[in-house]
Parts: sequence; C-alpha cells; structure tokens
Amino acid sequence: MNSTLLSETLIRRLNTAQLVLAGILIMSPTAWMVLSSFKPSFEVTAYPPTLVFSPTLENYVELMQTTPFFSYAVNSLVVTLGSAGLGLLFGIPAAFAVSWTRISWPAVLALAARMAPGTLFLLPWYVMFRQVGMIGSYTALILSHAVITLPIVIWVLLPSFDNIPRSIFEAAQVDGCSITRVLWKIALPLVGSGIAVAAILSFVFSWNYFLFALVLSNGDSKTLIAAAFNFVGEGSTQWGALMAAATLIALPPLVLAAIVQRWLVSGLTLGAVKG
Amino acid sequence: MAGISIRNLVKSYGSFTVVPDLSLEIADHEFVVFVGPSGCGKSTLLRIIAGLEPITSGELYIGDKRVNGVPAAQRDIAMVFQDYALYPHMRVYDNMAFALQLRGMPKSDIDSRVRQAAAMLHIEAYLDRKPKELSGGQRQRVAMGRAIVRNPQVFLFDEPLSNLDAKLRAQVRAEIKALSQQLRTTMVFVTHDQIEAMTMADRIVVLQGGVVQQYDTPEVVYERPANQFVAGFIGSPTMNFFAVEWRGDAAVFAADATPAPLDDALGARLRAAAGKAVAGVRPEHFQVVSANASGIPVQIKLVEPLGSDTLIHFEVAGAAAIARVDPSLKPKPGERLFLKPQPGKIHLFDAANGRVLP
Repeated sequence: MNSTLLSETLIRRLNTAQLVLAGILIMSPTAWMVLSSFKPSFEVTAYPPTLVFSPTLENYVELMQTTPFFSYAVNSLVVTLGSAGLGLLFGIPAAFAVSWTRISWPAVLALAARMAPGTLFLLPWYVMFRQVGMIGSYTALILSHAVITLPIVIWVLLPSFDNIPRSIFEAAQVDGCSITRVLWKIALPLVGSGIAVAAILSFVFSWNYFLFALVLSNGDSKTLIAAAFNFVGEGSTQWGALMAAATLIALPPLVLAAIVQRWLVSGLTLGAVKG
Repeated sequence: MAGISIRNLVKSYGSFTVVPDLSLEIADHEFVVFVGPSGCGKSTLLRIIAGLEPITSGELYIGDKRVNGVPAAQRDIAMVFQDYALYPHMRVYDNMAFALQLRGMPKSDIDSRVRQAAAMLHIEAYLDRKPKELSGGQRQRVAMGRAIVRNPQVFLFDEPLSNLDAKLRAQVRAEIKALSQQLRTTMVFVTHDQIEAMTMADRIVVLQGGVVQQYDTPEVVYERPANQFVAGFIGSPTMNFFAVEWRGDAAVFAADATPAPLDDALGARLRAAAGKAVAGVRPEHFQVVSANASGIPVQIKLVEPLGSDTLIHFEVAGAAAIARVDPSLKPKPGERLFLKPQPGKIHLFDAANGRVLP
C-alpha cells in the first residue's frame, strides 16, 4: 500500500519535473527574444546575459524608423489571409471528398507535398513565376503559401468529417440533397470547430513561413518575416531591432493559438445519433 | 404511393456476393417486413431501394419508374435510420422541415405539415429543441416525423426500434403499425426481431444469405413455414426439431428408436421422403396428456415461469426441447409428464435440404 502510494507520488513529481523542463526548453528562447527586445542594444549581446536591466523601447523605435513595418505587416496579412482562404476553399471540399469516398491517396499526396522541403519547390517556382512576370506579386506568394495551408486544412478537417456518422449524410441524401448540398448544408455546420482550427493553423503557418517570401517577394511585397531578415547583415546583426521585430511578428500567431484552444473542444455532433 | 418491384437483383462487393438473385413484388400500400439474421442482406436490400447502394445487376422499380442509378434524392422515398440520423445542428422543427425546404415548398405549407406531423407523433413540445436535448424515444419520433412530413411514395425503416428499451419498443411498434394504417403508404421495415415482423407486417420476407426463404403473411409464415430455417427463425421460443425415421412399420425418433407420435398422413410423407426427415413442433403446440394417451414421456429439466405461460425444458431422444404449458400446472424440475403435439401441428422437413415435405 505504502509503496504504491510512494511510487504514485514519485510518478506525479517526475511528471511535474518533466513538464517544467519541457516548458523551460520551449519558453526560454521566446523569453530571451522578448527580453532582448526591451534591452538597450549594448546589453542584447552581453555575455553572460543580463537578467536585470532597465527596459527600453529604443529597439522598437529603431524598427519603426528604419523600416516600413506596417507596409510589411499589410503584405504579411494579405499573403497569409489569401493563402489561408485558398487553402480553405480547396481544402474543405477535398477533405470532404476524401472522407466521403474513402479514397485517401489524394490526402497522402497533399501531406507529402507539405513534408517535402520548401527548397524543392522554390527553384521551379522561381523560374515559372519569373517567366510569367509574377515575381514580387501577392498572387505568387499566396499560391506558394497554399502548399503550406492546403495540407493543413485537409488533414485537420479529415477526422472531423470522418467523425460525422455516415447515416446523417445518407439521411440528407434521402431528404433530397445532392452531394454538394450535403457538404454545404449538413457537413460544414458540423465541422465548424474544425474549420476554425484549420483556418487558424493555416494562418499561423503561413504567417511564419520564411523561405518562399524571401525569394518570391520584392521590396513592395516583402512579408514581415522576410523583412526581419534585413537586420541580419554580413558584418553585423542588429539584434535589438531584430528581436523587437520578432516579438511583434510572434504576437498574432500567439493570440490565435490561444484562441484555437477554445475551439478544440466541441460536442456538436452529440445527440445526433443513438446513445 | 407506389409499389416496389425487384427483378433478378444481384448485389456484390468485389467477389463477395451478398444478394445472388432476388426477385420481389411489394404491392402499393403494403407493409412489408424484411427479417433475417445478421448478414442476411436485409439492410443491403433496403439501402438498395433507398438508392444508397448501387445495384450490381437486375432491375428495381418504384411505381412505374425504373430507378436503377437514380440518386436517393430523386426517388421520393423517406427513410428512418437505426441511429435516427437527425441533423444535430438543427432544431427538431428544422429537421422535419429540411426536406420540404429543399423542394422549395411555401413556408406556410411547411409549417402546417410539420405541425400536423408533430401533433400526430406527440412531439409538438420539442419543436424548438436540438436533438441532443431529446431522449432516445423522442429522437425516434422526430426521425419518423421527418419521414412523415415528406408524404413520400415509400417509407423505409432500417431497424428503427433496436436502440429503444423493451417497453418503449413495444409502444413505438404499435404506433408505427397504427401510423401505417392511417397513412396507407407503402412501407418496408427491416428488423432482425421476429416479433416486430409478426406484429407489424402485412407480409414478411424471411431472408438468409441474400435469398428469400419465404414471402407471405405472418400467419402463413408461422403456420406453414416453407423450410426448416423459416420454422426455426419465426416463433419464440424457437421450434423444436427432432430427427425421425420410418423403421419397420412405424415412425421413430432416429436417435433412440423410441416411437414418434406421427399420424398416418405424416407417416406417409415420411415414407415418401425415403424414410428420413426432421419433425418440428412449436413449444406452444405441445399439450400435457395423461400417461395412457400415448404421449412422449419427458422429465422436466428446467422451468421458466413467464406469468401468462410457463416454459419447461426437457429432452426428447437426446435432443433439447421446450414446451409452453399452462402455469396452473405448476411444473417442477425433475417431474415426469407426458407431452403430445397438437393434431396437425407437426411439421416435417427434408432431412437433406430442410424444405417442408409435400
């Protein structure tokens, strides 16, 4: 009895220790980034790092004065919303079709495209977009980022569609729905939370994607994440401004990620069928 | 309203054939029940009629229209699913109104139809609720209401009572029967429960392995089963079967050569079948007789009092058997008594293929 209790306590403590360790590992770079953004520039690279310092906004001021930050933010927003929208537009019917037909290879193919390194696409795309004069356009960036968002939408929504009892779709068919109508009138309202999660994850991944924006954008269409790279110079790096930019860039995904948690729990299909 | 005609229907999944070759005519206004054990193809057949499963070969007519390949949406049928399949995001009212809205019916007509059906099913009070706020029985009624408002050519029911408790099942069973008499729409009802089949059907289709074993009224299926499978499937407790033979100049139980109580006519049928057959007697067709009335001597092994009747378990020629007797007899385990099948209530089946002997 005592040994059981002891081992249970031990396990609980080890669990806590494990979580704390994981938390420190995950959070310390973020904390370092945020703290550095408020440090005077000479303290950012100080070794050993200073934990006590007089916070300053000088890095943010420099960021706003030296870069068209809000223009880049608008670029990021257009590309991110565009690619997330495109991902949803094609991903929702694709996920529904895969779930409906139980033919899964298209979903696997989409996932394979997501898992392949971005550089694999980059060169052919660069050549293609340059030939049609689209380098630097929003369209090129939105299309390329759809490779990120489309698999996310498909794979987030697939289990949501699979979880809807098949008989509900069949009842809708018997009631007079075509397959498109089944998707629109019955399936979509039932996967609302899945769509929210897919949309937010698409937004976050597209917002943070660096490589395509770096190569396929130009000065006018540069996204925040690519613009932040400007602070990394050949001889020196403006760490303070870079950290300020990184902190601001990280804010929208962080806020959205917090919102996602609310949507993850859903009991919408409860009561539809027996039990 | 319309009848259903199934002609030489075959349904296969790859190399696996569920329905080998089935033909069936269901008349207009008829209430037909498909009954059979799990995997007999009854639900597949219903889903084929609904348009939810494609036909491998053969023809299907609803009314005069050949509906092979016609989508479910265009068949003008309504279906009540085993799990009710209500739309979880819609109120009860919208669940019932949905099909009518799809057809572009005026709102006032939809409203009157929904309210009329709701009144018929006593669910007016729940019209504004979501399915998850309803009990199993209430959901079942909504599913029926959703079918009724359509006023379809054919109603299809896929084991709609199997998720209800015993009391509610009996109640809803009676309600569906009353409803069928009121609506006079062609209804096809699938169940594995032979009591549901017997109590509701105008005609029963007994299926096994995708083959129609018998298609007739409940009375005929019960009184004159076409084969041993039907005889064993319909009736509860199930019919007792004993192997019998003609030896010398008398019918005997094959296992121990004790006399079997077959009359002259049955004896003649037994002889005509090369002297070997399976005799079947329903538990309710045994009567307790006195020792000198040439009954079968049995020793009671187990007694199951049901209130209205009492079931006694015993063995005849080594085969387990059950008889339904009057509870006033107060039978006790270990007690010996004599049982005799009621005249004309012994069925004889071919020992090889199970068909009833002519």
